[in-house]
Amino acid sequence: MSGAGPRENVFATRMALTNMKLRLKGAETGHSLLAKKRDALATRFRAILKKVDEAKRKMGRVMQLASFSMAEVTYATGDISYLVQEQAKLATFRVKATQENVSGVLLPAFEVDRVSGSDFNLTGLGRGGQQVLRAKEAYAKALETLVELASLQTAFTILDEVIRATNRRVNAIEHVIIPRLDNTIKYIISELDEMDREEFFRQVVACNNCAKVQGKKKRDKQAITEGEANDVQALQVYPTEPQNEPNQEVELPDEPNQETELQDEPNQETGLQDEPNQETEFQDEPNQETKPQEQSDQETEPHDEPEEASVDLLSSRDADIIF
Amino acid sequence: MAAHTSFKDRHLIAVIGDEDSITGLLLAGIGHIDEHQKKNFLIVDSKTQISTIEAAFQNFTERKDVAILLINQHIAEKIRPTVERYQQAFPTLLEIPSKDHPYDPEKDSVLRRVQKLFGE
Amino acid sequence: MEGLFFNVNNGFLEGIVRGYKTGILTQSHYASLTQCESLEDLKTQLSATDYGNFLANEPSPLSTATISDRATQILVDQFNFARSNAVEPLGKFLDYITYAYMIDNVVLLITGTLHERDTHELLGRCHPLGVFDTMPALCVATNVEELYHSVLVETPLAPYFRDCFSAADLDDLNIEIIRNTVYKAYLEDFYNFVGTLGSPTLEVMQNILAFEADRRTINITINSFDTDELTKEQRAKLFPAIGRLFPAGNNALAKADDIDQVRQVCDNISEYRSFFEGSTSVSGANHDVGEMGVATQLEDRFFRMEVHLNKQAFMQQFQYGVFYSYMKLKEQEIRNVTWIAECIAQDARDRIQDFIPIF
Repeated sequence: MSGAGPRENVFATRMALTNMKLRLKGAETGHSLLAKKRDALATRFRAILKKVDEAKRKMGRVMQLASFSMAEVTYATGDISYLVQEQAKLATFRVKATQENVSGVLLPAFEVDRVSGSDFNLTGLGRGGQQVLRAKEAYAKALETLVELASLQTAFTILDEVIRATNRRVNAIEHVIIPRLDNTIKYIISELDEMDREEFFRQVVACNNCAKVQGKKKRDKQAITEGEANDVQALQVYPTEPQNEPNQEVELPDEPNQETELQDEPNQETGLQDEPNQETEFQDEPNQETKPQEQSDQETEPHDEPEEASVDLLSSRDADIIF
Repeated sequence: MAAHTSFKDRHLIAVIGDEDSITGLLLAGIGHIDEHQKKNFLIVDSKTQISTIEAAFQNFTERKDVAILLINQHIAEKIRPTVERYQQAFPTLLEIPSKDHPYDPEKDSVLRRVQKLFGE
Repeated sequence: MEGLFFNVNNGFLEGIVRGYKTGILTQSHYASLTQCESLEDLKTQLSATDYGNFLANEPSPLSTATISDRATQILVDQFNFARSNAVEPLGKFLDYITYAYMIDNVVLLITGTLHERDTHELLGRCHPLGVFDTMPALCVATNVEELYHSVLVETPLAPYFRDCFSAADLDDLNIEIIRNTVYKAYLEDFYNFVGTLGSPTLEVMQNILAFEADRRTINITINSFDTDELTKEQRAKLFPAIGRLFPAGNNALAKADDIDQVRQVCDNISEYRSFFEGSTSVSGANHDVGEMGVATQLEDRFFRMEVHLNKQAFMQQFQYGVFYSYMKLKEQEIRNVTWIAECIAQDARDRIQDFIPIF
């Protein structure tokens, strides 16, 4: 039955229903947007994955070239590592971080930021300076690849994280929030329906009682025996009506206009307007139920057609209520 | 966004590596010694303790001015659990090959994740 | 006359060195070395040569640095044997050879001291040929001034340092300038020393040293093209005042701004003309690459020239040049072997032939 499963803790009111419907709509929009974002990110992610893979392999080659140039330095000048280590003071090869926006995710990208000048300008002055220079360039090139790779890898890590978060959200909306709202809406609708039926039944019973009471008074004066029989028949008829009516009412929610009208203005004036509708429906089933009425109507006012008679009966009944 | 402000200040490349790799990278100009005489590189040889490497790794990953941390793959191998645990986006951790140890994509923490994702 | 008495004092050592010389790797050795698949292969191949099983006790995996260190150790042992058996003035001559390495070591210590490192750990990095007994004493120095005085007192390099620098200079000057200034002084001193030994050592050695001096002059010129740290006046001061380029060539080089000017200077010396041959066509459209190419090529040609000169030294008998030449040739051989090892280790097969064969 509707309302089973988790739902929001709300009172079943029209206000809450509207809110819930809005929220459901919001959740659905959010879901589709997030799903789009996820897809966009995933596309990007795949592209980056591929690039990371390539760049990592490329790095292997570039670093090999670089370390080979180091071998050339060693060949020409001997061991310079200690000198180099001690002479390093200020970084001239730095990176600068910039940002790139991918579907609302800020991906940092590193850029090489080289300051001219070097701590090692005179290294290998007497011998092998050119090899040192070449090694410097080879390593700078390798570093550029490394920096590029670092950007990709950072993007990879961040995207990975973001995609996971987005996936969590998409799944949460799809499997938790939307069903929950659905349940709530179903619950509210069923509650409201229940209230409608109660209301209608209450009205009907109330009418019936009024009619009975009023009718009784009148008929007591006019013809007790006839009225007695009529009432007995009417009583027999009307209790059956509420039993049938729920069936009709269940169809009614498909026609929200009627329902809202019914429920929005539950006073007697609309009741007046509505009841003819119900009457017409009654006519669709011109069976026994009307016959007793006709009979009784004919008995009371025996000149009219059955339709009018029933209308009259009702109107008279309503009039009775009004009275 | 906290990361936003902090990664703008990151401009250094730190290295943990063997002597040859570091010499080359220093030649390219990444070497930086700050006012506290703290270096942004650590030379690892056969005598270097694992704990020293771990400490340097922690130090470099916690420094606010380091954008990229390079580490020789064979050294990363020595502290693999620490490397595997490292998930931060900044500084970016890159495993690089060294002269005597050619690059093996199978061992790279990040590449392993890449391949896992491709495999799915 | 020289030849008559040479063998009395030096015949034994000359015989030894000439024997060593025949152990230098030949083309066929190199051919098999370059075929090696791994450093282990290389080790096996080397054990078939005069190197023997010098790598036998090294743990696997073998590194190129170990190969180079062990090979150097063999050379050092040979040298020390010769040095202990040498009779003056050969002893003095051999000492002079070590001064070159000593300069490097002292410069290393200066660097360490300047950066307030513990210089004791630097001793391991020093070239074994340049190690002298009193070297640990230098490590005691905690600042450059103390070190300067220790150098003056404890080392044979004292005159070079004394004449070139004050203690304050060590602090201010770029370490490379210090190194090259001292080296210049050393070269000139060595040149003068071989002058006192008389013919035929004089001819052989001065020929080699002149080339060494010119090589440094050219290198310093080329390597200081684009730097502000070395002014042209400073550059001129680093040029050894010997060699074929001296003095006209040196003066021209001191003012040179690009490699073409260097070429013009070298064209005046018939021996050096070949250094720049074939490079004219390269430097043209792509100037930078051309210049780099020429310069690296140059280094290679210097090495070839050096080998050539040192080989010639063996043509003459009864002179000390063979000792110096053997050292240099052997050094080149170690470089070659290291180079081949590097190529194998780094899988750079296309460059493996770029060594300089000696015989």
